Amino acid sequence: MTITKNQRKKQASSGNRLSPYQRYYLIFIGIAVVVPFVPVIIRAFSFSWFWPSILPTKWWWEARENAWQPLGWDYIFSGPSHVGEAIINTVFIAIVVTIVCTAISLPAARVIAWEKFRGKSAVEFFLLTPLIVADIAIGLGILITFLQLGLTGGYVGIILAHLIPTTPYMVRVLTSVFQGLSRDYEEQARLLGATPLKTLWFITMPMILPGIMAGGLFAFLISTNIFLLTFFVGQGNIVTLPTMLFAKVIGGSSLDTIGAEVALILSLPGLILLIITERFLKEEIFAKGFGG
Amino acid sequence: MTSTTDTLGLTQKRKLRQRSILKRLYVPMMLLPASLVFLVLFMGALIMAFLQSLGYAPIYGVNDFPTFRYYREMLEDPAFRVSIGLTFYYALVPTILGTILSIYLALSMRKRFRGRTLFQYIYKLPLMIPYLVGVAVVIELFTQGGIIARLFHAAGFIEVPQDFPRLLKTEAGWGIMTVYLWKQIPFTTLIVYSVLMGLGKEYEEAAGTLGANKRQTFIHVTLPQIMPGIVAATLIVFPFNFGSFEVPYILGADFPNTLPVQAWRVFDDADYTRRLGAMAIVMTISFISGVLLLIYLMLYRRYERIRGRQ
Repeated sequence: MTITKNQRKKQASSGNRLSPYQRYYLIFIGIAVVVPFVPVIIRAFSFSWFWPSILPTKWWWEARENAWQPLGWDYIFSGPSHVGEAIINTVFIAIVVTIVCTAISLPAARVIAWEKFRGKSAVEFFLLTPLIVADIAIGLGILITFLQLGLTGGYVGIILAHLIPTTPYMVRVLTSVFQGLSRDYEEQARLLGATPLKTLWFITMPMILPGIMAGGLFAFLISTNIFLLTFFVGQGNIVTLPTMLFAKVIGGSSLDTIGAEVALILSLPGLILLIITERFLKEEIFAKGFGG
Repeated sequence: MTSTTDTLGLTQKRKLRQRSILKRLYVPMMLLPASLVFLVLFMGALIMAFLQSLGYAPIYGVNDFPTFRYYREMLEDPAFRVSIGLTFYYALVPTILGTILSIYLALSMRKRFRGRTLFQYIYKLPLMIPYLVGVAVVIELFTQGGIIARLFHAAGFIEVPQDFPRLLKTEAGWGIMTVYLWKQIPFTTLIVYSVLMGLGKEYEEAAGTLGANKRQTFIHVTLPQIMPGIVAATLIVFPFNFGSFEVPYILGADFPNTLPVQAWRVFDDADYTRRLGAMAIVMTISFISGVLLLIYLMLYRRYERIRGRQ
């Protein structure tokens, strides 16, 4: 903060510039991150794409006019494809998961951040453990119990299962949000005669709202990306975008037009979130959640 | 307390007592909802898996609890040893390589350059995208008829798809590790970068002023400072890779493959009694990653203590 103009200039000219290696590295990373999407996007707009052509042999819009059945995107948005159903299922499950997850994580985060109690570090540690246990262990373990309780093949079971990977994350993010706030505001409001409920609503909520938004958006994203738990608990009864894409890529040898289109649709929530968070929220909130 | 309560009225006394009970219950009550997810769903699932791995599964008509038979059978299976080696290999290589690449990326991003704001948008893209989309991307790129093979053809290197090396669905696991790296470099970078931004450059500049060269500054000043971020990131990344199912299932070899894939294949068997063997495998996966994490955390604690930090 106290650096003089001269020093700053000097800094900018020496240590603050990219070395040639770093420049090439950044270009490489930029390409490696974005360019792999191009073939998938092209595939999503192709009708046929034979070896060894670099571009599709026939584009979707060329084949579309004299097709006797809906092709490509027309098929995606038609009933028989079940993509519409998968989108609705995915979004519905994610919304419910986000709401429930936020509701149960808020109180826990609040006391972890603000109260002193015995066994606090143990609580913090244990609440994080689901993040490091393999999905397949949780999925196979939960399956038996859910089968016996009749929770397989329905929304309730899937939503409950999605809470396992989202809650640890949400508690962590919200804890760091509360830690970043002073309790003084609440105490002052109480001193000035506000009821606890009023304090919560008018003082605390507005202050933590951006943090809740950030945590909620990421919980939503995590839920839309979950495959294995949905696959196990849903028993093929409830189709979501990830289970649909899994069925499309399971062979591991090729991707068809519909598979590419489902992949693009499934990428949308993350893409939208990336733009929103970068614009309106501080990325530190995300990183802080992991002790950054 | 008693002396003051004596002078208080009965209702006030009751009120006080109620308040102290409320106060004592406040923390547990607030923790309860989130803990239920942890205790009932997560621990419940693990305990059920554990009991089944020890032979308790009346639902399949099996109950020889407690027995280590399923663990013994698992250990005697030669396929298990191959699987465990592959699981480690696919998990460890991307974790180490990805961490190194991420540190370099985070350090580079700290510099000033044109398009920095845009770059900081873009590099996070894979982080937001599901693993399955990463799998689709890798399939489109690296299969023998994929876009890279076609580019090789256009350049005149190969004639037919079979001339292109088989990169996916082999034991080498190129596709698996590529997806992990592609997804996880942004994640580790984000964490390391935000630690770096929180630190500022004062210490590094001081080291520079005192005559340390770039490498010395990095090893003795920067690296110890970003260590907590590196540990946090690898703590998430390694167990994830170790327990991941869909990526090796789709992009790995039919046989041998990783432990989670192996577990699923055993579980999916028409013979329900084999499901107990699957439980032994998933418990082993959880146990190994748990033990590894504890060792890792202990080593890290020790490192911090040696450095004189708590």
